[in-house]
Amino acid sequence: MMLLEGFSTALQPVYLLYALGGVFVGTAVGVLPGIGPAMTVALLMPITYALDPAAALIVFAGIYYGGMYGGSTTSILLNTPGESSSIVTALEGNKMAKAGRGAAALATAAIGSFVAGTIATVLLSFLAPVVAELAVGLGPVDYVALMVVAFLTVGALLGASVLRGLASLALGLFIGMIGIDDSTAQQRFTFDNPTLVDGIDMVLVAVGLFALGEALYVASKLRHGPVEVIPVSKGKNAWLSKEDWKRSWKPWLRGTFIGFPIGTVPAGGADVSTFLSYAAERKLAKGANKAQFGKGAIEGVAGPEAANNAAAAGVLVPLLTLGIPTTATAAMMLTAFQRYQIQPGPLLFENQGALVWTLIASLYVGNLMLLVLNLPLVGLWVKILQIPRPYLYAGILVFAALGAFSVNFAAADVGILLVVGILGYFMRRYGYPVAPMVVAMILGPMFEVQLRRSLQLSQNDPTALFSSPFAVVVYVSMALIFVGSWWLRRRQASLEALPVKDEVSV
Amino acid sequence: MSVQVSTPAKRPTGEILFALVFVSVGAAGLLAAGSIPIPPSETGIGPRAFPYIVCAMLVLVGTGIVAQVFRGKVGEAEESEDLDVTAKTDWLALAKLVGFVVLHIFLIEPAGWPVAAAVLFSGAAWSLEAKPLWKAVIISVVLALVLQYVFGGLLGVSLPPGPLLEGVPFFHG
Repeated sequence: MMLLEGFSTALQPVYLLYALGGVFVGTAVGVLPGIGPAMTVALLMPITYALDPAAALIVFAGIYYGGMYGGSTTSILLNTPGESSSIVTALEGNKMAKAGRGAAALATAAIGSFVAGTIATVLLSFLAPVVAELAVGLGPVDYVALMVVAFLTVGALLGASVLRGLASLALGLFIGMIGIDDSTAQQRFTFDNPTLVDGIDMVLVAVGLFALGEALYVASKLRHGPVEVIPVSKGKNAWLSKEDWKRSWKPWLRGTFIGFPIGTVPAGGADVSTFLSYAAERKLAKGANKAQFGKGAIEGVAGPEAANNAAAAGVLVPLLTLGIPTTATAAMMLTAFQRYQIQPGPLLFENQGALVWTLIASLYVGNLMLLVLNLPLVGLWVKILQIPRPYLYAGILVFAALGAFSVNFAAADVGILLVVGILGYFMRRYGYPVAPMVVAMILGPMFEVQLRRSLQLSQNDPTALFSSPFAVVVYVSMALIFVGSWWLRRRQASLEALPVKDEVSV
Repeated sequence: MSVQVSTPAKRPTGEILFALVFVSVGAAGLLAAGSIPIPPSETGIGPRAFPYIVCAMLVLVGTGIVAQVFRGKVGEAEESEDLDVTAKTDWLALAKLVGFVVLHIFLIEPAGWPVAAAVLFSGAAWSLEAKPLWKAVIISVVLALVLQYVFGGLLGVSLPPGPLLEGVPFFHG
């Protein structure tokens, strides 16, 4: 019933227009090389500052899905793929495009994203209220356990170097502490500087790390010369053939059911799900199709793309019901919500039910628009990919500066942006992942509050942190996840080695 | 996916220095955390405990990275679509970009946002070797005015239009 009310809001003509705008802008920015979904949300935050909360959420839903999808277009059509969540798509998609089947790769990605996104949003609609109801019963000890898992998976599990991930995490926690302590109202690490008393705004850090840091990093080693985009073939063989449909629909569904659960637990995000889906498809393929893997197998695009979108919807479950962001993109979404005084958590569905259901309804709408927009607009995306790089990165700098300035309309904030951007540059240069820092910065203060509350309740007895059965289950599963990931990482290493060998032998 | 190009191992100095930044932030934090006031009513672990834990973590992890680098395990530089991994770092371009952002910061208030944005865009495009330069300048002016109109005028984000455009009503909301 609540969902229907959500639809009645989301389907108003004005809001449909907002959704369309969000999807369009989100995809257009997401297509830009080097810009991942988290950066898309961070960069586009200023466009919603003047909107009412419902409109802003609708725009964000569009940007969220659009940004996710835009990345896959980039990795299929550009010779040099780079984003991690779409890198698996690039494995086969890029080969397909080079073999003149770019349109089919884009189509299976778009339809797969739509199918997966829609199924996953249905699952989200049913699951989220249930989880929220359960979550009302969770105490501070349980939250501490959940956040420890989120920290460790984002920091230690997902990057190439455990120590560098943890360093990034710790720095994020540190920056999160600057300002006024939530529990006692004491100033911490402010050094009596008035700009620091309010804390450092999340938007500054995110835009600095993602946009400015990336722009500086690319500028330091820019590939000069013309941009090579693989041409998208037209004609009757370009579109999905009957055979392609037959080979695609199962991977779409499998990808959905791999992606959604991984998105919902605070231990994954899109990267893991795309890789798992790819591995599954590769294993399940038979005969001639199997031989195509590494040379442009359509299953290898269909599955991971579906998994990616399903995981994106799955990530919204812990975000909306527990208030815990498990990816950098989710952290950005949370920041956006907080600007509108929307505090995700167990009580969200009770306190702001109308808004949440509008958001969920607009996810359905956004998904459909993504499908309708994407295929006809491939030509436009190709044009966007061809923007000369000096203009592209100059534009990113201007947008980053605009985003930073419009947080408080203070030029000093652009200075903070620059400092964070330089930090982001060196982090990239020396292989420190930036996502843990963003997640830690937003999750850190929440974690500290819950930790102190738990210890206060138990008269500072640390064993109380393991006193609830829920927390114990969480810690045990975390241990299992770590063992599992160690195994996965070895599999991933051997998989990533394979296509490289092919390329050398060709 | 491209063939993995091993990054030249010639830069451990920079890497060690960067890891030491983490160590020193942590060390400074450990010192500063001691002077965070604790209200007398506090019964829990108080406002100092978490800073101590995080700063200790920074020191430990940073030291660990230094040790790793010394043993030859350097970080893997991130890959990106427009990146030429074999190229040498263009420090001059970086310095120019940083310089233009600084210039932008100091221009916003006195000259207005559109002017500051146009300077940032054309400066950055010039630093990245956009050719011809006049085209970059024209694009920068158009972009700055469009952004000022869309954000300042339509979306109601109060960007200062500056003395040049103060009199034009549709540039502010």
